[in-house]
Amino acid sequence: MNLLEILSYGFIQRALLAGTLIALLCSVLGVFLVLRRLSLIGDGLAHVTFGSTAIALALKFYSVMSLLVTMPIVLLASLGILKLTEKGRLSGDAAIGLVSALGISAGIILASVGGGYNVDLLSYLFGNILSIRSEEVVIAALLCLGVMLMLTLYYHELFAISFSDELAKVSGIHTSFINSILVLLTALSVVLAMKLVGIMLISSLLIVPAAGALQLARGFKVCIMLAAIQGCSSVIIGIIISIMANLPASATIVLVNLLFFAAACIIRRFIYPAHSN
Amino acid sequence: MNIRICVVVICIVFCALSLVGCKRAEVKPAAGLQVVTTLFPLYDFARTIAGDKAQVTMLLPPGVEPHTFEPKPEEVIRISRAGLFIYTSRYMEPWAEKIVSGIDSTALRVINAGEKVSYRAVAGKDVHEGGKEHGNDRKGMDPHIWLDFTNASLIVDAILDGFVAADPGNSALYRQNAETLKARLAALDQRYRSSLSTCSTRKLLHGGHYTFGYLAGRYNLDYHALSGISSDSEPSAERMIALIREIKSSGTTYLFAEELLSPRLTETLAQEAGVGILMLHGAHNVSRDDLSRNVSFFDLMERNLEQLQKGLSCRPK
Repeated sequence: MNLLEILSYGFIQRALLAGTLIALLCSVLGVFLVLRRLSLIGDGLAHVTFGSTAIALALKFYSVMSLLVTMPIVLLASLGILKLTEKGRLSGDAAIGLVSALGISAGIILASVGGGYNVDLLSYLFGNILSIRSEEVVIAALLCLGVMLMLTLYYHELFAISFSDELAKVSGIHTSFINSILVLLTALSVVLAMKLVGIMLISSLLIVPAAGALQLARGFKVCIMLAAIQGCSSVIIGIIISIMANLPASATIVLVNLLFFAAACIIRRFIYPAHSN
Repeated sequence: MNIRICVVVICIVFCALSLVGCKRAEVKPAAGLQVVTTLFPLYDFARTIAGDKAQVTMLLPPGVEPHTFEPKPEEVIRISRAGLFIYTSRYMEPWAEKIVSGIDSTALRVINAGEKVSYRAVAGKDVHEGGKEHGNDRKGMDPHIWLDFTNASLIVDAILDGFVAADPGNSALYRQNAETLKARLAALDQRYRSSLSTCSTRKLLHGGHYTFGYLAGRYNLDYHALSGISSDSEPSAERMIALIREIKSSGTTYLFAEELLSPRLTETLAQEAGVGILMLHGAHNVSRDDLSRNVSFFDLMERNLEQLQKGLSCRPK
């Protein structure tokens, strides 16, 4: 099929536009999350969303209204993960595992106690990058704007907490406030973007671009920019390859992203041979 | 202080959960034959055959996909105490055979209601199989067998055999109820045939997973679905564009979606092609609202026929 002709379809245009916006915000957030050892927060919060959607359906909140129930719960869960790492002497992965286990088990219990649903829960929970609506492109743009705003307002504070919480605290930064903003914004992005493009894509866009950029970058700003470039270009290249090769879009994007990561690892060996081992 | 509050909260949650558990665990030893079915059509047929002589329950909670269902301990107990367990195939209910093989009750009769049915391949060619193979070679076959009403009639026969074997005392009543049921299925088949013979288009375009192959095959409709039989597969952009072109070139004004599932992809396609959306029911399960309204298989199929007549612009008779 002719690529130009395919690009004239509205759903492909929306996939490219909203996909790039979501990739941008995920890969920027991802740099901080990976450095703070909260890489799997996307998966963890997805499980909490599953549990809270069961609550929403039990309370008879359907479709968009269900966000009124799920959003506060997921925001609280993200703060819970943060508090567990700060107060509970737990590392990020254990805290995420704990909260995610709670989310999924509560969801399963509620689903069976509630006696079933009017719809298939899982099919509503996760979106597909090829089925993005026009108004959802606006949501993606607003989220992206929010993350960029946070980045410009609190760049130095975020930079400081990414490397050492103690050091940041000593130098007079209100660390718990900055941490809260970071995880709350992540929770907001995960819940909304998951409904647009599915959890597999969100989770991998949070981790892989940051991991790739950290192979090459020598400075923090460069790292954020490299992650953003890797995230966005893998979405665009992934969608185009998926069209040409007749493959499912999301999985292709994830694989392209991983190829970028592998390339970054190899390039690192050539640029910094002394540091590579 | 905080820890105490936590402990109290956890205790309350546990108490509440155990109360819920107690309430549901009180399975009263009801009189008569106990029948457990997996899917909605089996449930509906079995309860019609049973009349007031047996108690029929459906295993699948409303709104849940049969592929991903996992039974609770209480439900496994219910099956082990039942006299009859009815399912269709290992592809539709992969968990059914596993549960049954773990139950060593000699009283339990297991009915594979889809055994004598002629399965259709997804591509569209019929495959007739004898009862010997137990569906071993039915990988890639369309499991929505009840959407062909002749098959539904064969399913009724299989269920009836089970009832008669498990409770011979009431066999006359069961036979009579099954005959009425089969007559209704034959009448439904006639109504579908005559109503759908007057349609101005024969293209049944479905923006979802392959479900209505039997229906289309029986009434000579040209069925195109967006994606394959597995509810896990994702369509590629090329497949979506192919279907959009199909809609545009066929000149239909409606695209079909399946009830209970998210219509997101269908909405994208319909918007792109500038057509409306109509809902068809796959009937393997029903929504909670429909179940409490006591909807029957026939109600769902009448609903489908109305939607088909509208979507394929058939002349009303």
